[in-house]
Amino acid sequence: MATRAEPETIATTRRLAARRRVRVPWGSIVKHGILVVTCVVILFPLLWVFLLSIKSLPDAYTNRIWPHNFEFGSYRTALTAIDTLPQNIQNSILLTLATMVITSTVAVLAGYGLVHLPTPGKAIVLAILVGSLFVPSRVTGLISIWEIQDRLGLINSTWGLILPYQTLALAVSIFIMRGVFETIPRELAESARVDGAGSFMILRRIMLPLVRNGVIVVLITNFIAAWGEWLLANTLTNDQEKRTLTVVLASANAGFGQWLWPTMAAMFVIAILPGLIAFIFVQRWYMRGLQEGALKG
Amino acid sequence: MASRAVTARSPSGTAALWRSTTRFARTWPYLLPALFFFVGWQLFPIVRTAWISFTSFSFLLDDSPESASWVWFDNYVDAVQDPLVREGLLKAAIFTAIFLPGMIFLPMVIAVLVDRVANQRLAATYRVILLVPAMIPGPLIFLLWGWMYSNGIGPINYVLVDVLGVYDLANQPTWLGSGNLTFLSLAMMEWWWGLGFHTMFYLAGLSTIPKELYESARVDGASEWRIFWKITFARLRPILLVLVVLRFGTAYALIDEYILTGGFDRSKPTYTWTVYMWDTAFQVGDQNRGYAAAVGWLGTLGMLVVVLWLFYAFRNRD
Repeated sequence: MATRAEPETIATTRRLAARRRVRVPWGSIVKHGILVVTCVVILFPLLWVFLLSIKSLPDAYTNRIWPHNFEFGSYRTALTAIDTLPQNIQNSILLTLATMVITSTVAVLAGYGLVHLPTPGKAIVLAILVGSLFVPSRVTGLISIWEIQDRLGLINSTWGLILPYQTLALAVSIFIMRGVFETIPRELAESARVDGAGSFMILRRIMLPLVRNGVIVVLITNFIAAWGEWLLANTLTNDQEKRTLTVVLASANAGFGQWLWPTMAAMFVIAILPGLIAFIFVQRWYMRGLQEGALKG
Repeated sequence: MASRAVTARSPSGTAALWRSTTRFARTWPYLLPALFFFVGWQLFPIVRTAWISFTSFSFLLDDSPESASWVWFDNYVDAVQDPLVREGLLKAAIFTAIFLPGMIFLPMVIAVLVDRVANQRLAATYRVILLVPAMIPGPLIFLLWGWMYSNGIGPINYVLVDVLGVYDLANQPTWLGSGNLTFLSLAMMEWWWGLGFHTMFYLAGLSTIPKELYESARVDGASEWRIFWKITFARLRPILLVLVVLRFGTAYALIDEYILTGGFDRSKPTYTWTVYMWDTAFQVGDQNRGYAAAVGWLGTLGMLVVVLWLFYAFRNRD
């Protein structure tokens, strides 16, 4: 009986599957339709600006999207059009690297101390850090930040910006690292301690390899915060050669006139490219880091 | 050392003190570097600004806040009556009201859709593309969208005027011109930027919902709509609260985009309390920083009240 029934059930499921296949999967079409349209909306402005950067000048004046003539010279012009630009790029790189390295390091140390060490008063520290997320300290504290930098003689100093830049994403970075450290079982540190390892040795040898993806998330978070910072750099520096690429580029629109759209676009592409390239290279670990608890912290 | 000598009489007390001291010495070095920057350039400045707000400190008239006179709440009394402050607070509130719903619900919809994509490679591709704008810094996003919205070269008006013919050159929308359309334009720009990043938050929340929950609900005959509200939305509520509070904070205290869009033109909708604060502190008149500090703190206090209310509104009713 069973052997004879089997082909029949297979036939029934096949027939059912066939009927299902014929039915138009509207749900799936709508789902992918919305997602594809969203992706197009996301990518369109970036493709458009890239296209603008290789348009010939007459084509750039008209708002036609696809140009008649391409011209790649704008990238050369872009690097020479503003004479302080190489210095601005250098300033941006210096500040961004310093922020990424310093904030990420102190966030790793703090996250470790808050999760895996019996730090006295950690509840209070955490409460203050959480509270800071609800206060727009960068805006409201600006008057006093200016005063501090002035007392330290760091107004109009590119190096001086390193100090306030550390707080751009500090609280968030500590939360991310705390979330990632919490996914590591405490027994791991416990057993290493029994074996006689010091707390820093445990962090370096055991913890760091395990929180690597979280560190990448923190590095990228700080890259975005520092590379695009505008308010502090604009307020605390005056001379154009002391300023960052972002500040100069954001104000170039006014000082530059509307004459050289492709050159502006080329500068823009130069400014966003480091971030996008870096992201494409590390996105695998970044995604893993996000899933490992960076967003649960 | 002195305290050790005092407690030396009771050996157990000494031992306890010694233990807690060493515990401090062994653990706090991990926190101190972070706290150095946090206290120095985040916590102290906001407190110091509050202190300055009680003085008549004008940068061009006084050497330091200490040499200015202490005026108690005079700055606050003036600020509350200042039409620029009132308008500034209102303008920021209008922008927040336009911006916040889109920034909270669009990513939720996208996250629910991405979560249902069965093909893992395709789902990963969607995630990466959605995250691309998050890798571009804020002011550069603004620059990019300034071009998008432009009348001369902007592709948006090109499509509306030349392709679709909905408008002509005379009545085409000036997106970043004046009126509340500016806010909508800025909001759309911010949505574009934040969509991917916020989607990731929701996806992290969705991944914690066991799939059996959906299956058993379906077996029980619940409709998809009911399943969404009772399971998906209910589980995403904590994330929703965090995002509402965080985005409310960034939206209400927005300043970069406003200065870059409208400059310091007081008639523009972008002249909000934050821009007024900056203008007063660093640009106009005697650079009255005491008053500017009061304006800043007034806005901050308003925000804290709303945040507390949000926590109250979202409190767990179960």
